[in-house]
Amino acid sequence: MKKEIISKKTLEYLAELARIELKPEKEEKLLKDLEKILEYFEELKKVNVENIEPMAGGANLKNVFREDESNVKCQMSDVKLMDAFPEKEGGYLKVPEVFE
Amino acid sequence: MNLKNLTIKKFHEGLLNKDFSALEIAKAFFDYIDKEDEKIGAYLRLTKDLAFSQANKTDVDLAEGKELDILAGVPLAIKDNILIENEPTTAASKILANYRASYDATAVKKLKSVGAVFLGKTNMDEFAMGASTENSGFKITKNPYDLERVPGGSSGGSAAAVAADMATAALGSDTGGSIRQPASFCGVVGLKPTYGAVSRYGLIAMASSLDQIGPMAKTVEDAAILFKAISGRDELDSTSANPPSGGKYGDELLNPKLENIKKLKIGVPKEYFIAEGLDKSVLKTIEEAIKTLKKLGFEFKEISLPHTKYAVSVYYIIMPAEVSANLARYDGIRYGQMSDVKGQMSLKDIYLKTRGEGFGDEVKRRAILGTFVLSAGYYDAYYAKAQKVRQLIKKDFDEAFKEVDVILTPVYPTPAFKIGEKIDDPLKMYLGDIFTIPVNLAGLPAISIPVKSQNLEIKGQLPVGFQLIGKPFREADILGIGRYYESLIINH
Repeated sequence: MKKEIISKKTLEYLAELARIELKPEKEEKLLKDLEKILEYFEELKKVNVENIEPMAGGANLKNVFREDESNVKCQMSDVKLMDAFPEKEGGYLKVPEVFE
Repeated sequence: MNLKNLTIKKFHEGLLNKDFSALEIAKAFFDYIDKEDEKIGAYLRLTKDLAFSQANKTDVDLAEGKELDILAGVPLAIKDNILIENEPTTAASKILANYRASYDATAVKKLKSVGAVFLGKTNMDEFAMGASTENSGFKITKNPYDLERVPGGSSGGSAAAVAADMATAALGSDTGGSIRQPASFCGVVGLKPTYGAVSRYGLIAMASSLDQIGPMAKTVEDAAILFKAISGRDELDSTSANPPSGGKYGDELLNPKLENIKKLKIGVPKEYFIAEGLDKSVLKTIEEAIKTLKKLGFEFKEISLPHTKYAVSVYYIIMPAEVSANLARYDGIRYGQMSDVKGQMSLKDIYLKTRGEGFGDEVKRRAILGTFVLSAGYYDAYYAKAQKVRQLIKKDFDEAFKEVDVILTPVYPTPAFKIGEKIDDPLKMYLGDIFTIPVNLAGLPAISIPVKSQNLEIKGQLPVGFQLIGKPFREADILGIGRYYESLIINH
């Protein structure tokens, strides 16, 4: 038996962290697929990365600043944003209570 | 009116010659799409009203004697993860089924400002996650060359629309090959620009350190025209940048000089030709392209990119990590609430239900995988390690570009595969991305160009593209070589 990298319990915990409700009938296949993928990643253990800096982004830009003021170029209309709200009240987004 | 082979260039000439009006062409496209797209399924939605008003404006401008941009009136298809203000935009996800874009993507805004016409939004893998367009939350798109095969993905709708003459050209997006692979499968040209060359503002984010918008077209020249129009630093995307030399893409992008292009040395990385699963027919086709370029006088050199084999692992750790963060916004609170969320549900239940119902299997798989590789206890072994190996992959390219100017490789190990062939085996699907992924990890520009051949054995087959990878912000090199390759084939 190969060592299990991810258990059913871990999967359910991760799904909760990711705020995704899983259908019970799909869990087994998902677990099998993830296990196979993680097993494949094992090859990275062979790579020597001593003294290698992590690459954190796609560009080599440094210190991209702008003036600390509202961006006039970004003219998104409040009305259009509010149109997408599933529920609103008096011009505000309506959400369920946050504290129970 | 012949929509077949209607390139941007030919459209522009015809428009100026008054062979047709922009409105006539837009209408002709819609008539053709109404007939043809039933069997292909390239479009999710058509934007007829918008297209007619845009086309009409071009016709009025022309009548008033205004000077027209080369893209004025040109009918384009737009991938559905790129925002067009007021138009429904779903990224092929059910979670956005009722979403209407509240602003224009910068690339869209730029195209609008030069008068381009948008025919509609194209199908894709949900949130651009996939390589076959089978992961769309709405429908399957078929390869115009063989309706039993996939068009590739994730920009499969855009590729199929261009290949089936249902648009003059299109915009796609490429995170790990999503422009180049469908271009290869559908026999069109697809350019993934240097990371940062095109603003990502208004592109629905998948993996922000990898995503780029780019053109898909019938010719390399058209791809260059579209790329030039959408590129440039944008205040609204802090990772966007102008080319370091002179701050602007020069005339060489559209008018490459043969004597300069011919001096470029082309590297062929041996690792890409011994990869497991590389189809013999693809290998033969790529060799044919190399032979043609040698005839044009290009010098070739074998090079090595030793960390290539780790690219799939690195990508499928980094990308899902970024996905898990980027997808957090789909909470069903500000937009995108699912229908079975009702009544007095708690906030947490709204999240769980909305995302459980709204996301498809592949999106869930990646969000959970990403959550795992970032979680305490696993972060160092997976995410931190992958970031370091990503650096090694980039260094491989830096070293190679000391010896050569451009790198030639296959785009994908096989021609278009059958619908259903890989969809149940995600790892198998991921492994196919081996030749396109390294480019995104290193932030480089790359283009897929259809191999055209006089060789009868190759001629009757499914389309296959070859890939040219350039130095950062040297799109002009890969486009330039592509132009000469294309001209040789066309004039033959």
